[in-house]
Amino acid sequence: MQATPHAQERSAAEILLDRLAAKLSQHALWDTLLLIVPPFGAAIYALAILFRGATVDTWAIGIIVMLAFAGTVGATMVRYRRSAPEIPQVAELADRQSGAKDHFLTLATLPSGNYPVSFILRLRRESSAFGNRIEIKRDFPYKIKGSAYGSMAASLLAVLLIQLIAPVVRGGTRVAPVEARLHQLADKMATKPQLKSLARQLEALAAKLEDPKATVQEKQQLAEQVEKQIEQQQKQENTQENRNLLGEASGALEGAEQQVASAQSRNEQQKGGGGIQSNLPQKGEGESKESQGAGAGQEDSKTQSNSDIQQGNAGTPKPNQPAQDKNPQQGETADRNQTDPNQANKDPDKEQAGKTQNGSKEGAGKQQASDQPPPQGVAPADRLYPSGEGKQGLQGAGYVTVQLPEEIAAEGKFESRPSKDSKGGRSRSQIPVSNVPLPAHIPNAASEKQQLPLEYRGMIR
Amino acid sequence: MEARLMQPEQFQQTFNRLEAEVQKVIVGHNDLIRKILIAFFAGGHVLLEGVPGLGKTLLVKALTHALGMSFKRIQFTPDLMPSDIVGTEVLTDTSGRREFQFKKGPIFAHVVLADEINRATPKTQSAVLEAMEEKQVTVFGESHVLASPFIVLATQNPIELEGTYPLPEAQLDRFFFKLLVMPPAPPELREILKRTTGAEIPDAGRVLPDDNGDLVNAMKQLLRQVMIAPPIEDYVVRLVHATQQDGQNGGAARTTIKQYIRFGSSPRGAQAIILGAKGNALVEGRVHVSYEDVEKITLPALRHRIILNFQAEAENITADQVIGEVMKQVPRQ
Repeated sequence: MQATPHAQERSAAEILLDRLAAKLSQHALWDTLLLIVPPFGAAIYALAILFRGATVDTWAIGIIVMLAFAGTVGATMVRYRRSAPEIPQVAELADRQSGAKDHFLTLATLPSGNYPVSFILRLRRESSAFGNRIEIKRDFPYKIKGSAYGSMAASLLAVLLIQLIAPVVRGGTRVAPVEARLHQLADKMATKPQLKSLARQLEALAAKLEDPKATVQEKQQLAEQVEKQIEQQQKQENTQENRNLLGEASGALEGAEQQVASAQSRNEQQKGGGGIQSNLPQKGEGESKESQGAGAGQEDSKTQSNSDIQQGNAGTPKPNQPAQDKNPQQGETADRNQTDPNQANKDPDKEQAGKTQNGSKEGAGKQQASDQPPPQGVAPADRLYPSGEGKQGLQGAGYVTVQLPEEIAAEGKFESRPSKDSKGGRSRSQIPVSNVPLPAHIPNAASEKQQLPLEYRGMIR
Repeated sequence: MEARLMQPEQFQQTFNRLEAEVQKVIVGHNDLIRKILIAFFAGGHVLLEGVPGLGKTLLVKALTHALGMSFKRIQFTPDLMPSDIVGTEVLTDTSGRREFQFKKGPIFAHVVLADEINRATPKTQSAVLEAMEEKQVTVFGESHVLASPFIVLATQNPIELEGTYPLPEAQLDRFFFKLLVMPPAPPELREILKRTTGAEIPDAGRVLPDDNGDLVNAMKQLLRQVMIAPPIEDYVVRLVHATQQDGQNGGAARTTIKQYIRFGSSPRGAQAIILGAKGNALVEGRVHVSYEDVEKITLPALRHRIILNFQAEAENITADQVIGEVMKQVPRQ
């Protein structure tokens, strides 16, 4: 306090002013914190979102966080110093609250020694009397200012925006591919004696992921295997550093699995064609698909669900399924047999032979199918031509009918059991569907009408 | 200093009694009476401006009676000479010996009423104004100290300006306050009629004792001891500074003010504000100045110190309006 005429004889008014100044300083500090901390939290959240999954060293993250923290502390101090009330302001507040006529202001700011002691004593006495009217807790309660609410609202808004745009931005910031990250983690883990074996496995996984000849299933399987081992190691690990490292590895593996799963779904999308099946005879490749389908029941549920999602109607339950649900694997096989007319026309022995051939390997044909890399850059129509026919025409195709899956499902309700009759007598639920364009010169196609595309149906009806 | 210092309560009591005695004669004008008394105890002089018949002269007379001090009235006319005010050397014959003897003029009184001061020539006005400032007059090379306490209460008529000599700015600055005497309100007028048209005309009683010089000086000294906080002093400085044009001590008048001001207040204006505020604080029973004291005193202390330009005159802007704007624009802190 500037004016303390007789510091050793501090009056109740001066003590009150000191207490009030301390209280108002606290208020200013709270105001500052409430104004600055929410944006800081939002910034940290933004950084966490943007760098999640990215290959950023721990020390770099630490430096960023420290810099952000230092900036926040600096901003808090600057604003606090600016907003913390000075003694004349505190004294004016006290004057206003107590109804005094600048008694506290004069007492707080008066230079010592220039005035008669009797005057100063009188001023202290009067100020103390006015001070009795003030109760700091009652008269100066803390109220959150509008600026704090605004800061919180703006920060929440920013967090929401970050949440919305994070996937877009993250795509740009995640520079390092999964393989590189696995290599880095393997290098780090190789330095720890306990994690050396895991490091080698990570290296192997990275190599497998980089290998273009390796099938998706192989990659998937290896990734899952390594992940299980990491989980086990995490349970056993006591060191925090190693645990962090294992956590990073686990995260990287999740990324690897996602990458593999997306690659697999891409392949299947290219193969299957968006939930519409063809009645075109698929030699070899069709069998391998069938084998793959049969083996899919043994696959990991995650992969299966991905596949189902990508295949759309292929996995849609049909009315005839309940009877087969007792044996899901068989049921799925039967279901696929029913929905694919080519298989109905095929020689069962041939099909069985194909299965046996593929089934000699693990996964009942899954491995076989996986060994052949999915055709890339070839139009579905080209791939679905029977061998030997090529682009010359669809002579082998008796008809091509497109039917929507919901119609299949709706019609299937009225049929107790699917029939495997000939082409002409088959029920609508068994009518195969295709996304292959129907050539105009197919002679047998005249009797059958191609169903209208979806977008035109409403107009005709 | 402490031992001889008058107690604030005693000051307040005496002041209130003086006010009450003057108010027996003068109806209304309470603020005017208080400010004249404050100026008296602050050691300043007052310029009263008002149309004839508002009781200016009566007010001064009543005040003089209450103070119990010598009083002289000078009616200023164009042919009034300085020697008529300050006095002159006259040849006297005492016991057969002729010699020049100084004959004191009316300025040698405690309270001097300079009635219609703007009707005298500047030469005569200067004689009075020099006495006001120096508290002494020099005649034929000999200085003569004026009575103490000494106060000049000058009046001037804002109308009938023909044949008048408006006071120059430098001389206006010598007045502590310029007070406007306004016409009475109807209730006050009724009371005036009641008091002045009856059988008994009230007169102000004497408050101060015969030997009152020490008492008045003690009161003056006490007034100067009143405490003022530095932020309030800063406020006064900012107020005065805000009236000054650019180029006048680096003044910082705002645009809305600046366009009407030719010259702003001198430091005497700030001195008058602070002393007047101190007097007001004592009268209100405080030993320290508050912002309110300053705001009450600013107008009478500055209105004659701000010289307006032609634009203000053309737009009928008064000094009071400009000061009011200054007080609005200058924050307390």
